[in-house]
Amino acid sequence: MKKTLALLLSLLLMFSCVAALADGYEIVVVPKDESNPWFVRMKTGVDEYAAAHPEDTIYQKGTPEIDATLQYQLVMDLVAQEVDAICVVPVDLASIEPALKAAMDAGIVVIAHEGAALENVDYDIEAFNNELYGAFIMDNLAAAMGEEGLYTTMVADLTNGSHNEWADGGVKRAGEPYPGMTLLADEPRVESHDNGDIAYNVAKELFKKYPDLKGVMGTSSFDAPGIARAIEELGLSGKVFTAGTGMPGDNAALLKSGAVQYLTLWDPALAGQAMVALAQKVLNGEAVAAPLDLGVEGYGALEFKAGSDTVLEGQGWITITAENVDSFGF
Amino acid sequence: MKKKFRKLISRTEFYIALVFLALCLLIQLRSGQFFTPNNIVDILSALVVPGIFAVGAFMVIISGGFDVSFPALASLTSFVTTKVLLDAGWQGGVWLPFLIALVLGALLGAFNGLFIGYFELPAMIVTLGSSSFFKGLMQGALNSKQLAVIPVGMRSFGTSALFVAKNVESGLTSRMPTTFLVLAGVLLVTWFLLNRTMFGRGIYAIGGNPVSAHRAGFNVRRTRFLLLVYVGMISALAGLCRVCMMQQMHPTNMLGMEMNVIAGVVLGGTAIIGGAGTLFGCMLGTGLIVLVENSMILIGIPTVWKDAFVGALIVIGTGISAFQVNRARRAGLRNVRKGAAL
Repeated sequence: MKKTLALLLSLLLMFSCVAALADGYEIVVVPKDESNPWFVRMKTGVDEYAAAHPEDTIYQKGTPEIDATLQYQLVMDLVAQEVDAICVVPVDLASIEPALKAAMDAGIVVIAHEGAALENVDYDIEAFNNELYGAFIMDNLAAAMGEEGLYTTMVADLTNGSHNEWADGGVKRAGEPYPGMTLLADEPRVESHDNGDIAYNVAKELFKKYPDLKGVMGTSSFDAPGIARAIEELGLSGKVFTAGTGMPGDNAALLKSGAVQYLTLWDPALAGQAMVALAQKVLNGEAVAAPLDLGVEGYGALEFKAGSDTVLEGQGWITITAENVDSFGF
Repeated sequence: MKKKFRKLISRTEFYIALVFLALCLLIQLRSGQFFTPNNIVDILSALVVPGIFAVGAFMVIISGGFDVSFPALASLTSFVTTKVLLDAGWQGGVWLPFLIALVLGALLGAFNGLFIGYFELPAMIVTLGSSSFFKGLMQGALNSKQLAVIPVGMRSFGTSALFVAKNVESGLTSRMPTTFLVLAGVLLVTWFLLNRTMFGRGIYAIGGNPVSAHRAGFNVRRTRFLLLVYVGMISALAGLCRVCMMQQMHPTNMLGMEMNVIAGVVLGGTAIIGGAGTLFGCMLGTGLIVLVENSMILIGIPTVWKDAFVGALIVIGTGISAFQVNRARRAGLRNVRKGAAL
C-alpha cells in the first residue's frame, strides 16, 4: 500500500513537473488598479516582456479601481489558482500582508514594487536610490545650464523625506563633476508645498532678488512645471533653467515650448518588466546577489538597500524631453 | 481739519495702510526690487484669486458668520466646468465656462444658503460640513484627477495680458493678467450692492443684530440665502480664474486657502462679530497678506522662518484690528449712553 502510494505520489510529482515545464511558469503582475494611465503603461511593458518570453505565461491583472480590499481578494484568488509568482504594486501595505503571507506559505514567489516596508516578500524592487536620483536630476540641470552658474533647490516641504534626500543628492553631485556650479547660499532650499502656483510665485521672487540665479532644481512633480511657467513669463527662456520630476502628460506643452528641457521620472513599463524578470530568476533557482542584472534598462546593476536583504534599488530613472514626451501615454 | 485727522486715525484702515507702506519700504530697502513695474504687477496678479475669495468671505463675516467652504466650492465648480467642457470638446470662447461656473456656484451657494438662511444654522458649522461634502463629491463621486489640459478658450483667456510690465534694468517682464478685470468687476458690483441697495444695508443690519434687522423690516432669511448664493457665484469665479491662470486644473490646489483669506479680511478691520467693515479695508488686509506671502524671499527671510513670520503678522495685525474695532464699538456705545442721558 505504502509503496503504491509512494509510486503514485512520485508519478504525480513527475507529471506536475512535466506539466509545469510544458506551460512554463505562470507569473502575474498585480498593479494598484487597471485604469490609471501609470499602470496602463506598466501593462504595455509587461505585455512586451511576455511576447519576448513565450516559455512562461506572463500577464498583468488588476482591479477596476484602486481599492486595497479588492487587491487583497485578487491576490487570494491567484493563490487559490496556484500561480507560480505574484508581482504586486501594493495599494496599502498593511492590508496586503496577510494575502502575501498566504502566497508565500503556498510556495508562490512574491515580488513587490514600491513596497520597501513589506515583510512577506521574496524581494522588493525600487526604481532607484533617492540620493542617486537627486544626482540624476542634477545631471540634467547641469546639462541645461552648461555646467556652470548659480543654482538652488526646491522641495515640497522642508520636512518631506524623499524630496530632501533627492535635493541633498543633487547638491552633493553638483560639488563633484561640476566645479562651475554654485549653490545659492542665501536661499539653498525653498518650498512649493506641492502646489504649482506657489512654485511659480516663489520662482518669480527668486529670479527678481537674485539676477545671477541660473537654475532651480525641482523635486516635487509640481516644482519644475511651476518654475518653467515663471521662466516663460519673465522672459528668461534660454537664460535660466529648471529640471525635476514631472509627469509627461501634464507637461507636454511646457516641454514642447522649450520652457523646460528635461524632466525626470521612472518608467512603470520598465518597473513591471524588472519585477517579472526577477520572479523568473527566483523561480529558476538562480542566485540573487548584488549587483544584479535583470536585463531590463535601468535595472542592470541592482544593489541592496543599505541594511536590507530584500529591497533592491535600480537606476530606473528616465529623462523626458520634447521628443519622447508623447510616447508614454500617461 | 483736526477733526478729519482724528477721524482718520481712529480708522483701522489707516493703520493697515501704514503697515502696508512700511512693508513696501522694507522690501525695497532689502531687495531694491519692490518699486519696479514687474514686481508690482506680480503682486497684483497674485492678488486676483485671494482677492475675489476675500470679497465673498468679507460679505459673510459682515452678516455675522464665517464661510469656510469657498475653496472647496471653487474647486468643485471649476473642476466640473473644465471637465464637462473638455469632454464636450469645447473650442469656443471663455463666456461659456464662466456661465457654467456661475450657475454651479449659485447652486452650491444656495445649498449653503438653505441651511444658513432658512434653517438658521450657524454659518461656520454649515460651511465646515459643506466644505467636506463638496470635497467628497469631487474626489469620490466625480473621481477628480489633475486635468493637465484645459479648453483652449480658458487657456488663452488665462494667459492673455492687459499689458506687459517690463523692468528696464533687469529685463524681466510680467504679465498683468486679464483675469484682474474679474476682480475689478466683482469689487464694483459688490460695492454697489453693499452701499447702494437695501440688500446691502440688510447684510450690515443682520450682522449688527438679526432681531433688530427683522423688526426694522428686513427679510433676514431671504437676505442670508441670497447672500450665500452671491458668495457662491463669486467664489466660483475665483476658482475658474485660478484654473485659467494656472493653465491646468488641480483639484486640491485651492484647499486650505480659507485661513489666510479670512485672516486678511479681519486684518482689514472687518468686525469678527459682524456688522462693520469696508470693502476697501478688506482689500487692504488681503493685499497685505498676499504681499507678505510673496515677498519673503525678497525681504530675505529664510524659508524655515517663513511660516512663523506670516503667522506673527496675522496674529499681531488681526489683534490690532480687533482691538481697534472693539474700541470703536465701545466709543459708539458711550455716545449712545451719553445721548440717552441728555
